[in-house]
Amino acid sequence: MGARDPARLTAARLAPALLVVVALFGGAIAGAVRTSVSPLAGGVSLDAWRELLEDPAFSESLLLTARVAFLSTLVSVLLAVVLAGALRRRGTLIRALATMPVPVPHLLAAAVAVLWLAPGGLAERIVGGLPVELIRDRQGLGIVLVYVYKETPFLMLLLLAAMGRSLSEREEAAAMLGAGPWQRLRWVIWPTIRGPLMVGTIVVLAFVVGAFEVPLAVGPNQPTMLAAYAFEATQGDVIAGEQVAAATLVLTTVIAVALAAVAVRFARTAEGA
Amino acid sequence: MPDRRPSRLVAAAVAAAFAVPLGALVVRAFADAWRAPGLVPQRFGLRGFDIAFGGARAAEALTISLVVAVAATSLALLVGWPAARVLGERRLRHPAPVFLILALPLLVPPYAAGFGLSEWFIRLGLSGTIPGLVLVHLLFVLPYVIVVLLSGFGPQVTSLEEMAQTYGAGPGHRFARVTLPSVAPTLGAAALLGFLVSWSQYGSSLAVGAGRPMLPLVMLPFVNTDPQTAAAFALLFLLPAVAALLVATRLARSPL
Repeated sequence: MGARDPARLTAARLAPALLVVVALFGGAIAGAVRTSVSPLAGGVSLDAWRELLEDPAFSESLLLTARVAFLSTLVSVLLAVVLAGALRRRGTLIRALATMPVPVPHLLAAAVAVLWLAPGGLAERIVGGLPVELIRDRQGLGIVLVYVYKETPFLMLLLLAAMGRSLSEREEAAAMLGAGPWQRLRWVIWPTIRGPLMVGTIVVLAFVVGAFEVPLAVGPNQPTMLAAYAFEATQGDVIAGEQVAAATLVLTTVIAVALAAVAVRFARTAEGA
Repeated sequence: MPDRRPSRLVAAAVAAAFAVPLGALVVRAFADAWRAPGLVPQRFGLRGFDIAFGGARAAEALTISLVVAVAATSLALLVGWPAARVLGERRLRHPAPVFLILALPLLVPPYAAGFGLSEWFIRLGLSGTIPGLVLVHLLFVLPYVIVVLLSGFGPQVTSLEEMAQTYGAGPGHRFARVTLPSVAPTLGAAALLGFLVSWSQYGSSLAVGAGRPMLPLVMLPFVNTDPQTAAAFALLFLLPAVAALLVATRLARSPL
């Protein structure tokens, strides 16, 4: 390739991928917003949004989504940090085994959860009764469990990739300069894992906020997670339902993006401090 | 400082924590009767497979899932390759905005993206078609493919290409004999991950599929009503992930 104009060549190479994302992402948001404000009679109306915000089931759905998203993310992050720390000096085979759930589809993890944890499931048969309800429970603990099983290895993979051989070397160097375990954690390990941990946390949080098939499989019937709430709206009134569903999904996307922005902001502040 | 605790024991424990829950799925798929409180099935049989794969709809679901996953992955590799090259070779002074745009699909719920696109797709005649499904999957496959691919590019590949050029290799020859072999492992990993992302898509497929069957879509209703049939579907659904694991474990055993 005769790179006579490198800047133009770079732009041409990036353009197809950027165009695909911008067109499909932009089209999706524009389509959902448009549907949410377009009643069948024509014109523009905010009826669907008003209906949505006045529906007590929607507030419950929002609350459930927030609770499940924070709980799943928090538990996954803590577990991933502990496990990555424990496994980082292990052989590559053990680390590969530990990240096995990553390619397993979410729906499949949900099916396994039902098999083991539902009333009358295998866990109950083995231990003779579970202390808490975990499948289709009102708190959404089944959803949390499925996401923790799926996302802990995902976060661990990111952390282990960041903790390469160079980390051990820098840790040894710090130890030789007299840094204790706590100081090594604060000044050597934490700066290394902070970046990937933040990216991973944002992705997991957004995943759970938009969770759809997992709540359909193991979530409570009432209240439902936001995406499932939208789906149920489409199953009711054909036209008004579409509008309410669109409004719900726009809001779900806004929440996911806003949480990501807050997380980035938070990480920047922590960096500056 | 290598850890000297018994590695085999840890490996076995980690593998068991993963394999035992999934193993129950295999037993469940072949258990015609497995009532509580029995810890082993009362009767084995193929009822689940008959229901899951007896009809024409299951064959259609499998075909559509496969075709869409292969097409979306191929398209993502084609579109993502040049972008991954630019990012992997660090040719941008400010790559953050580009990364941010490419990561946007990770933040949008798949059902929301599919729902928002569905009305445009109806107007364009793409609703319920394979190209429509491929397009919506492409949005979610592309970021993963680019992130994996870019790790394969860098100064080592560029310098090999320059050497080939010095020796008079043309662009086509250079690509086939130098570039492709040197990025082959990452290309394989990107293709595998892209396939899995498309293969697992639920919400986006439901929203633009207009009732076309795909593997996860036909599986979900059985999860709570007929666990045996759900398990039969699940085994097929799991196959590509198992392939991914075998490749990953082999790579871990013999680093390139």
